[in-house]
Amino acid sequence: MSDDIFNQTKLKAFFIQLKRSFVITKKDLKIYYNKPPVLIQGILFPIILFIALTLGRTVQPIYLISGLMAMITFLTSTSIGPIVFPWETMRRTFERLVTCPISIKTILVGSIWSTFIYGIIFSSIPLIIGIIFLSTELTINIIIIIAGMVIAGLAFACFSLILSVPSTDTPGNTMVFTILIKFPLIFMSPLFMPIILSPIAFISPLTYYIDIVNVSLGNTSAFGPLGVLFDIGILIAFGFGFLFLAFFLHGKTLERRFRG
Amino acid sequence: MVKNLVKHFDPPKRAKYGKLGPNSPQNTMDIIRAVDDINFEVKEGEIFGFLGPNGAGKTTTIRMMTGVLRPTKGEIKLLGLNAWKNQIAVKQVTGNVPEMANVYFSFSGWENLMFIGEIYGISKKERIIRAEMLLKKFDLYEKRTLKAKKYSKGMKQRLLLCMALITNPKILFLDEPTSGLDVQSAKIIKQLIREYNEQGMTIFLTTHDMEVANELCDRIAIINHGKIISLDTPKNIRKITQDYQAIDLYFTDRLDTGELKNLNTIREVQEAQEGLHIIVDDIHESICEIIDYIKSHNIKIKHLSTHQPKLEEAFLKIIERGVKIE
Repeated sequence: MSDDIFNQTKLKAFFIQLKRSFVITKKDLKIYYNKPPVLIQGILFPIILFIALTLGRTVQPIYLISGLMAMITFLTSTSIGPIVFPWETMRRTFERLVTCPISIKTILVGSIWSTFIYGIIFSSIPLIIGIIFLSTELTINIIIIIAGMVIAGLAFACFSLILSVPSTDTPGNTMVFTILIKFPLIFMSPLFMPIILSPIAFISPLTYYIDIVNVSLGNTSAFGPLGVLFDIGILIAFGFGFLFLAFFLHGKTLERRFRG
Repeated sequence: MVKNLVKHFDPPKRAKYGKLGPNSPQNTMDIIRAVDDINFEVKEGEIFGFLGPNGAGKTTTIRMMTGVLRPTKGEIKLLGLNAWKNQIAVKQVTGNVPEMANVYFSFSGWENLMFIGEIYGISKKERIIRAEMLLKKFDLYEKRTLKAKKYSKGMKQRLLLCMALITNPKILFLDEPTSGLDVQSAKIIKQLIREYNEQGMTIFLTTHDMEVANELCDRIAIINHGKIISLDTPKNIRKITQDYQAIDLYFTDRLDTGELKNLNTIREVQEAQEGLHIIVDDIHESICEIIDYIKSHNIKIKHLSTHQPKLEEAFLKIIERGVKIE
């Protein structure tokens, strides 16, 4: 292994790094799935927000499911990502990780997989409940809903890594920053209601995911006949935008974690 | 090989511009010169010690050598490769135990080793063989299934060394490997550093502990304020304090130190816990003179030993005076 590392092709090196990103994923899932910040942001917040936004309101089943799924996918897919870096800096495991033969991009991609998997597992719960209890009332297009869930989950996971850019070793600081960014995004999205095309709703990637779920449940897209393709395209663009921004910003701030 | 290595840090943002504004030339004064144009070469198969007081630039240097920090200027070549430009390849063949590093508390000792082994691309079969061997060697095998958060500091440090060695590195970087450890753990670690070095591994270590440097290192570089001020073997560095010669003497009865001070070859007499620490100009002449004196006073010697210059004294002298040895 160590002898041919000096003569690797770029493609081989890429696949080695990709493989190693899955090792990071396994580590992140094992370590962070039950950490308090993850449980608060990934499980407690969706429950509280669901109750707060639906209590006392008459919400159509279609918007109830799409709103719940969007909120759960967004909050769980962004729960692990922001705490990995500050947590590892605090626990002093980060420097050891950085001296391993992996790039910072590999560490980031590994964290994206882990936060994405975590999000998909929890997002599946309302979907399964919806299929079991509402399949007689609603026509559910499983392919569209799963495709939307995967693409949105990945885009949100990439977004979550931007939230861990500040070079702090206190996960609590990241939590505050994360809430300040995530909550306005939730409130500017059309949760538990029909999509109203206001300029503010366009900013949030959640809007496009809600539209995909609405269409998969038999509604028409707010963006016209090819709305689902438009939604998917926008979410992919958001995902890549967040990914490259995360690569760039973490590359810039990495050294600050080791000063002093 | 480290050539003209420089590392500057920007000042913290709040203090960056102060009242002067971003364009003031005086702002260049705010740059922190952590490492300032250092050069040295580590020979294959040697144990190279990097000594210096706190904040001297030891950890910054080792962090640049291990690819954590990017050098501001200069070049680091490891195994013939530029360490920054070929980070992944270089990291693959080097092992590292950072000073402030820790193991994963949520993982057992075994899981920590398996994780690192997998990151380095070692096959599962090979990982298991190496992990078993290392854990036995470092006396951790019985506790391998225990969560690492229950390990003592010494056990964690030994586990970190196992994590660095599971990859069979050609170069091993150790940042303060025995700092704050119990005697048993420090002894095991020193013994194994020596053992791995005898097998051909090149070891680069930073330490505060003069005893560790003296016992283990083939050569030592002393760094202060980001500059290397001395680079030589421990024996040659000790020679700096050659003019410091002393005799430790314990007597059966009390002695009038005032009279002793008046002897020709004695420079200073210090009262130690059990006897006297006598600083002299010439060991031979002084011993003869002291023996004549105590015979004439009918006093018996309980203990006599000459004091060899210590690395610690040489280190302090170099740091205080900034003695530079080429």
